[in-house]
Amino acid sequence: MTPIVQAAAIAVVTLGTGAATVSVMNGDIPDMTVPEAAWSAGHELDGRAFHIEAALDNGQTDVDELRFADGGFISMGCEEYCDFGYSDYRTWVDAEGVIHFTATADCPTAPHRTVWHGQVAGDEITVEMSWTTRRWYWTHQINGAGGGPQIAAPGSAVSG
Amino acid sequence: MRRGAAGSAGFSATGIALRVLVLLAIVVLATWAAHLLKDALNLTIMPTNEQQVHRTLMLGAVAYVGLLAIPFVPGAEVGIAMLTAFGAAIAPLVYVATVAAMMLSYTLGRFLPGTTLARMLGLLRLRKAADLVARASVLPPDERLALLLEGAPPKTVGLALRHRYIALAVIVNVPGNAVIGGGGGIMMMAGMSGIFAAVQTLLAIAIAVSPVPIMVMLLGA
Repeated sequence: MTPIVQAAAIAVVTLGTGAATVSVMNGDIPDMTVPEAAWSAGHELDGRAFHIEAALDNGQTDVDELRFADGGFISMGCEEYCDFGYSDYRTWVDAEGVIHFTATADCPTAPHRTVWHGQVAGDEITVEMSWTTRRWYWTHQINGAGGGPQIAAPGSAVSG
Repeated sequence: MRRGAAGSAGFSATGIALRVLVLLAIVVLATWAAHLLKDALNLTIMPTNEQQVHRTLMLGAVAYVGLLAIPFVPGAEVGIAMLTAFGAAIAPLVYVATVAAMMLSYTLGRFLPGTTLARMLGLLRLRKAADLVARASVLPPDERLALLLEGAPPKTVGLALRHRYIALAVIVNVPGNAVIGGGGGIMMMAGMSGIFAAVQTLLAIAIAVSPVPIMVMLLGA
């Protein structure tokens, strides 16, 4: 074997072993679990928007605007760091008329995933969410919960 | 003549035990200090800054590998800074980067001619490193490793050469090894000596540098 091939072999073995080691040492953090229910493609919340304030488990607070349109859900706050676009949302309605919804959004340009679960009762929304980033060397997650009132829905058409 | 850190006292059972205890104490203190500093910095990863944090980490990891691989250049501080800022979560990356840096140094020492290495280090104005490599390059390969054990009794040198992988793992962890070139210098000499096989060296280094990240992960969990 020539020295170059030997050096390349050492590099491959070192990096391969390193990558395997990191993946073993880097424990995954599962996304927020959404309760089992008779979820189906949602349209009950189409055309509505909500202003929410959420407390995050890292001690921070977050202000966001959630929109529903044409079976899609979008967090305007999340759009500031990734172009998630609209994601399909699913719903079920309980006996009191409370609309339960859930949506999962994946960032197309970075390994972020957000999972949303909430209830809309009248003009009020309550939500819980998880934001998980899975890099090759670590997994980072923020969880939050909050709620807020309905606001005027934007007249713009659905994009993304 | 410079006296090696792995002198006669360094290889006695008491000496090794004492140094291991000192190393453990340093790790515990550093972890405790890291927690305090992290709280003081109030560094919070948010969706808005995660991309920036990721880029900084990747840049830091590359700088860490590069610096740690160069003899006499203090690179460990970059790793400690990363552990300080991001805690146990970043320990796997720091561990792998440390092993990669050690193997990079070993590979350079093994495959590049000593004169070329000395010239490269000289161009980088790393005079101490260039001097170490230049001195080693004129020696027969099996005497190059003994350069690190200058001043040690012949019995100790013989013992270290017989159990060279264990000796390598110990020397890399000995506090104060910066005076003989640090991890980068030790590994470069190991590569230049030609008596260390790549796979066994990788195993020895993977074990040798594991205590700090493992302790950070355990204490940080």
